[in-house]
Amino acid sequence: MAFLSLDGIVKRYGDHTVVDGVGFRAEKGEFIVFVGPSGCGKSTLLRMIAGLEEITAGTLAIDGREVTHVEPAARQVAMVFQSYALYPHMSVFENMAFGLQMAKMPADEIRRRVEEAAAILQIGPLLQRKPRQLSGGQRQRVAIGRAIVRHPKLFLFDEPLSNLDAELRTQMRIEIARLHQKLGVTMVYVTHDQIEAMTLADRIVVLRAGRIEQVGTPSELYDAPVNTFVAGFIGSPRMNFLPATVAEAAEDRLTLTHPSFVDGRLVAAPRRGGARVGARGGARVGDRVTVGLRPEHLALDGAAPSLRLRAEMTENLGGSTQIYARPADGEALSILTPGRPAVAAGDELPVRVAPEQIYLFDGAGLAI
Amino acid sequence: MTGRSARLLHALGLLVTLSFTLFPFYWMVSSSLKEQAALLASPPVWLFRPTLANYAEIFADQKVSGAILNSLIVVCTTTFLAVCLGTPAAYALARFEFRGKRDLWFWFISNRMISPIVLALPVYLLALQVNLLDTHLVLILIYLTFNLPIVIWICTDQFRSIPRDLEQAARLEGADQFTIFRRIYLPLGVPGIAVSAIFSFIFSWNELLYALVLTRRQVQTAPVVATSFMSGYELPWGKIMATGTVIVLPVTLFALAVSRHMVRGLTMGATK
Ligand SMILES: Nc1ncnc2c1ncn2[C@@H]1O[C@H](COP(=O)(O)OP(=O)(O)O)[C@@H](O)[C@H]1O
Ligand SMILES: [Mg+2]
Repeated sequence: MAFLSLDGIVKRYGDHTVVDGVGFRAEKGEFIVFVGPSGCGKSTLLRMIAGLEEITAGTLAIDGREVTHVEPAARQVAMVFQSYALYPHMSVFENMAFGLQMAKMPADEIRRRVEEAAAILQIGPLLQRKPRQLSGGQRQRVAIGRAIVRHPKLFLFDEPLSNLDAELRTQMRIEIARLHQKLGVTMVYVTHDQIEAMTLADRIVVLRAGRIEQVGTPSELYDAPVNTFVAGFIGSPRMNFLPATVAEAAEDRLTLTHPSFVDGRLVAAPRRGGARVGARGGARVGDRVTVGLRPEHLALDGAAPSLRLRAEMTENLGGSTQIYARPADGEALSILTPGRPAVAAGDELPVRVAPEQIYLFDGAGLAI
Repeated sequence: MTGRSARLLHALGLLVTLSFTLFPFYWMVSSSLKEQAALLASPPVWLFRPTLANYAEIFADQKVSGAILNSLIVVCTTTFLAVCLGTPAAYALARFEFRGKRDLWFWFISNRMISPIVLALPVYLLALQVNLLDTHLVLILIYLTFNLPIVIWICTDQFRSIPRDLEQAARLEGADQFTIFRRIYLPLGVPGIAVSAIFSFIFSWNELLYALVLTRRQVQTAPVVATSFMSGYELPWGKIMATGTVIVLPVTLFALAVSRHMVRGLTMGATK
């Protein structure tokens, strides 16, 4: 029996449908990340799980109990808000104790729990401060601490790191992952940042316009995105897309044509880990397809190039270099290459890609 | 214009405004310390030997101390009730959707559009019918009618500026509606509540029209008594001014004590 299950969840505001039939299941102890562009309904979905938004249609169950219309407090979930939502007039201790007081817990038990959580998060010395006397990172810890003390069944996070600067964000990301390991509690985490999604999640739920596009482990989404949307969303830098035409369709091999391919041709083989390896044969000669190339799979190689591009700009990332280069027609592609190759704007670049690292999508954007 | 002359002009403007607003107070206080002869002197005397005789006289007068007590009873009760009744209403208006909300809101605001004198006669007749003339209750009720909208208005605005996330976090933690109001909205709404309490206090303390119309002997308030000296052939300016000073003193002290909240409250919502 799944620990958290959503079935056909719908949310409408008037006749504006924000979440449109979302269903999925999470096991106990899983770290689930909802990811998707801004406005796709992630927060709304999370808030429906918390009970802060009415569920228009569908059913929600937590730990084997149907809670679709149950009061938020009775669901035993804790939520960390994007704004942290700390009570400004209460000290850190009072902030963390509030929920326990509501549960009528004895004072010494409250103290014990708050101190335990404060020790885990290393905020012991801050307990008497007011939220305004804390830095962003410290507030974040308090917000998490407030969730921990209640020993909830389910943790919900709504973009908890988006108000932090880059360095702190990385640090807190690691701490949240560590916390999940330590507590072993089921967590649902909302973000629009695919790096957070990739690094934290056991499984990622990719949302677009209120619908699930794909559910899978980070590797599954990276290796076998079901469509161009997921392919473009997961992975950084973003996947490059190039239109092409099928010239030859063999058993497990497609030959594609596009003016920027060397000799006008490119051979694509089944990808390792690709979900639909055998389905490649479905493509027919003359089909228009979209070729997906990940920047990290493109290598500068004069010996056996597959594409010829013209360099436009380079970005030195220190240990690696990101090169923007334009094919004969269409938009610039990005190439992520180790080291600092000597590339100047206008140079002709021979670029190699392994046949089994080519992603292919049909005319409707679905993976082939 | 250079910065310095601009500052000079600014200071001059302030000085003019200040003397314009403060002179009547100076005149009132200084007159209350003069003897009748010095008071009526023309041209006015600026240097005189101050006397507390007027104060001694008004405090000896049962009427004045009784009136101040009446004022305190009416004003404190009104302010207390206005805050107690107004803040939950403001919370409801700020955070809940219900039928007739817009109409209710408009009614509260439109209450303040009516000139009080228009209602004086009907209110008098009403009070007469229900036998409430010359009671504390009738003044408290009528002041409440005028003060509640102000309290609700200011506090609604204040409560709206409190992030919704706080309330939702509290709900998730098991707080019920009333706990949320008491433990989150009230403490965070203090600036607005303080301002509305001050407004309510000052309005009721200074109110003359209804106090004059609705009271006889028993519950005359301070402003009524101050004007009551104006009957007869002789105007006891010294006593009137001394009473005026005594009336103004509590509000001034009250306002000075909470002026920081006042400024904060008056500019609240400015950055929304
Ligand atoms: N109370 C509301 N009334 C109407 N529309 C809303 C309301 N709350 C959110 N929405 C709409 O729902 C959509 C999804 O919002 P949200 O869940 O916050 O997106 P995300 O968190 O993915 O950025 C948005 O288009 C937003 O405008
Ligand atoms: Mg959101």
